[in-house]
Amino acid sequence: MGVGLAVLWTLLLALAGSALVAAIEPHRLGHGNEPGPAAELRTLPWRRSRRPDRWLHGAAPVVALIALAWAVLILPFGRELIGADLGIGLFYFLVVVDILLLAVALGGWGADTADAVECCYRVIAQLVAYVVPLGLAVIGPAMMARSLSTVDIVEAQARAGLWYVVAQPLGFALFVAAGLMQSYRAPFLEPFAQRLQQAMLASYAPPLRALWRVALSGLLFVVAAMGATLFLGGYAGPWLPGWAWMLLKTLAMIVLMLGLGRCFALRSSAQMLALSWKLLIPLGLLNVLVVGALILLGVGQGAFR
Amino acid sequence: MLTHYSIAALAALLALGLALVALALAHRRSAPAPQLREAWTSYRFGYATYALIFLAFDMEMIFMYPWAVVFAELGIKAFLDMLVFIGLLLAGIAYAWGCGALRWE
Repeated sequence: MGVGLAVLWTLLLALAGSALVAAIEPHRLGHGNEPGPAAELRTLPWRRSRRPDRWLHGAAPVVALIALAWAVLILPFGRELIGADLGIGLFYFLVVVDILLLAVALGGWGADTADAVECCYRVIAQLVAYVVPLGLAVIGPAMMARSLSTVDIVEAQARAGLWYVVAQPLGFALFVAAGLMQSYRAPFLEPFAQRLQQAMLASYAPPLRALWRVALSGLLFVVAAMGATLFLGGYAGPWLPGWAWMLLKTLAMIVLMLGLGRCFALRSSAQMLALSWKLLIPLGLLNVLVVGALILLGVGQGAFR
Repeated sequence: MLTHYSIAALAALLALGLALVALALAHRRSAPAPQLREAWTSYRFGYATYALIFLAFDMEMIFMYPWAVVFAELGIKAFLDMLVFIGLLLAGIAYAWGCGALRWE
């Protein structure tokens, strides 16, 4: 693809992906009638705080949208159908997705009301909980595929005839758990619990709230699509064209994540941190060793001989 | 290489343009009366120790990425290296846990 086409593809995929999530996400997520992050934005009354910081507050949704576009850039929907096949794709993805969190923190801080600042603090607590387990979960596919490029990881799975979800079920489970934390979906939506969400998101005028809606819906899309790429063989598959397989697998990931999330009670920030550091991170470290041992035994390495 | 990152830059510019349109639209709306609590109050920032350990672990995790890419070629030697490294990290978590660092204060 040429540069212009690649840019257009990236932007359109970001918008289409978030529209897809917005279309299939139920309006009531989890238990206790807590609304999902993007669910109730339309119905919120607009309440401007006393004096929101003009620059921080205004910059937040802009940064969120840019972060979303950057994350979409390396999602492969075909060997050539990708914004840019970066050599460090997977690592790049982890970094730019966290910029979206920076945007939420900016908005919460900039809104300058007690509840919005609390949203900022809680969203950072969530970062401290999910980044390490997520990073450990995605190291497994990079080890087996011997590359950080998302296209290479898909191709390695296709050549080995092995989806990494089969070889690394523990890594996949960690990815789903940490991915739910990263996308602020039930049961991990504490920073967007009703009161905080109203304080943060309702401090924006409706056009900017639409930007937040795009960014927060798109967040689940990129996490799910990355899961499909790393663990479900991405765009590779028989009969159907590559983009159709990728779309189907991404949909499957979204449904799986939303469905699983509803099976558990909502967790507070403190519970999330404890869960992450006492369970997910030790398991993630073990997973790296298990995957290493499997590779030494030759699992998924047939493609490289 | 340069092309790849110029695509990222252009995508960001386009997203910025979209967002600026929304900002301009939002600017024209008038503000209703506010009824919210002031931000100048005290918060329970209960995860300070978690955040400190997080800094260390986040840095250590970054070392694993270059290692992961070349792991299969290096074989058993890379595995033993990482065994020691992960052993140290697990001991670090166990130590922090034992000290009572892994709780919301």
